Amino acid sequence: MYVYDQFDHALVRERNAEFSDQVARRLSGELSEDQFKPLRLMNGLYLQLHAYMLRIAIPYGVLSSVQMRKFAHIARTYDRDFGHFTTRQNLQFNWIKLADTPKILEELAEVEMHAMQTSGNCIRNTTTDQFSGAAKDELDDPRPWAELIRQWSTIHPEFTFLPRKFKIAITGATKDRAAIRVHDIGLHLTPKGFEVYVGGGMGRTPHLGHLIKSGVPGEKLLSYLEACLRVYNRYGRRDNIYKARIKILVSALGPDEYARQVEEEWNTLDQAAIDAPYYEIDRIRSFFPDPAFADKAFDQAALDRAKAADPAFARWVRNNTHPHKRDDHVSVTISTKPVGLPPGDASSAQMDVMADVADSFAYSELRVAHDQNIILPHVAKADLYDLYQQLDRVNLSTANAKKISDIIACPGLDYCTLANARSIPLSQEISKRFADADLTDEIGELEIKISGCINACGHHHVGHIGILGVDKQGIEFYQILLGGRADEKAALGVITGKGLPAEAVPAAIERVVRLYLQLRTSPAERFIDVVERLGRETFAEALHEPA
Amino acid sequence: MKLLTANRLTDGLVLWYADGQWVEDAAIATHLEDAAGEALKAEWAARETEVVAPYLIPVTDDGTPVQRELVREFVRANGPTIGQTTFDTAKQFKRDEVFQ
Repeated sequence: MYVYDQFDHALVRERNAEFSDQVARRLSGELSEDQFKPLRLMNGLYLQLHAYMLRIAIPYGVLSSVQMRKFAHIARTYDRDFGHFTTRQNLQFNWIKLADTPKILEELAEVEMHAMQTSGNCIRNTTTDQFSGAAKDELDDPRPWAELIRQWSTIHPEFTFLPRKFKIAITGATKDRAAIRVHDIGLHLTPKGFEVYVGGGMGRTPHLGHLIKSGVPGEKLLSYLEACLRVYNRYGRRDNIYKARIKILVSALGPDEYARQVEEEWNTLDQAAIDAPYYEIDRIRSFFPDPAFADKAFDQAALDRAKAADPAFARWVRNNTHPHKRDDHVSVTISTKPVGLPPGDASSAQMDVMADVADSFAYSELRVAHDQNIILPHVAKADLYDLYQQLDRVNLSTANAKKISDIIACPGLDYCTLANARSIPLSQEISKRFADADLTDEIGELEIKISGCINACGHHHVGHIGILGVDKQGIEFYQILLGGRADEKAALGVITGKGLPAEAVPAAIERVVRLYLQLRTSPAERFIDVVERLGRETFAEALHEPA
Repeated sequence: MKLLTANRLTDGLVLWYADGQWVEDAAIATHLEDAAGEALKAEWAARETEVVAPYLIPVTDDGTPVQRELVREFVRANGPTIGQTTFDTAKQFKRDEVFQ
């Protein structure tokens, strides 16, 4: 993974010193809250319902065991012994003291991490495929390009005060696991260069990104992105926060006209002054080699015996491993979603175990997926049972990846000042209703995504079943959306039926799922396939209690 | 009647105004007449080294926040409702949940 050079170290050190001074001045009263708020937000520090929340950037979701262990230490020392992995592949601590933040940032800097650009109207952490560099279906590794974008966009003077926040996602595989069509800019890395999708996003006004250019060569990526950002920065709606995202501009201009303006801008830019020279791209690439894969003797018969002796292990192998580019390895999904617990949360003890197993079995590397799970990208098949047993001791062996209980949920009204309704308790109740692992397996792939407000941090627009919490005169109600998906066939879900009170939602979901089981033509036909074949209205009636 | 609430500057924890001081336990918050509440809010809004963004919550006759504020203030007063008892403010103060 990328290693800081002297410039990275100096930048983070200077930024921390600056913020430390700002914190001291706020505590002394020299700075007012109005003056301090934008400064703390630029350093990832929010004031939420119960306490300060610190959001830490995990660049493109890639994490070393040393960094994970540091998170555990911070959770134990400065927080209430846990952290929350987010849909932006970042980590949030929910119970931080203001005076502790300089020390926490200092500790993060020791392991080459920071909290810059995790808030504010700037280019946020670039996200990518959690299996990058490992997946069997990958065409090219997106991580060097994500790192290039990180370096270009960090404290970019022109793009620090955009009309609104700006999110870029990259995938380099045939299957889109990075949800590129619902990002401000989505990049699909192909052998012929980048396909550039612009104007996607969720929130109040969801849009799918439009393909505005194909074949952008890697060595021209930064100047093309700069042109995209310049047109947005010039014409984005600064007068109306609800219309300030690039999706609104692209929609208003039309994708063709926006693309034309970008092309025109691109041709006027001094591209050579912006684009990284080939040797710099090669230098960044050199930080992402394959690990020194261990040639461990893999005994298929031994694995089969372990699976036969331990059905829970067999289920975990079936559900939580992903094909690797090497036949003797897999990628492993560590589910942060045991039945009835908050999605994305991990205790310090669990973080320590994840760091330990990464050292023992995964070349010291981990990833945070946008579905809030943790990934070990490279695991020798020979080590699977040992790994599983260690995870199982700390409740990290739930075999539900991509299943109905693998729910994405934003923090919702239990933590977030913006939320209208609670998300986590609803996800807990749904996962309890589908606690039967055999039933979960029978249902197959089904993605539920829950947001506690229209800002859509829980990605409800692209859930096979999306759930949006709304405030109806002081009472929490939940709208159900059907038919969304964030993959290479991205589609936005549509609100189906009337809003439901929280206590009615799990049963409504179960009725929909039971109907799906009746309607599918084979177990291979997933829920989303049936919704697309028969139409979402087929399920509308099932959402409501029979009269 | 109203309750005055804020977050403490140093750690962001939820505070409630009670008899001339700020406390963490909503169960003992003072019910304020509207005018008195407004005056206290203005006074404390200026004391920014102690609390952040004080605001008033309208309450009904039984001392419960009005419906439109109820869920949010229930969560603020009792802690996250996600079953992690170590964060449960009601248990911390050995009392039943307030604002039911």
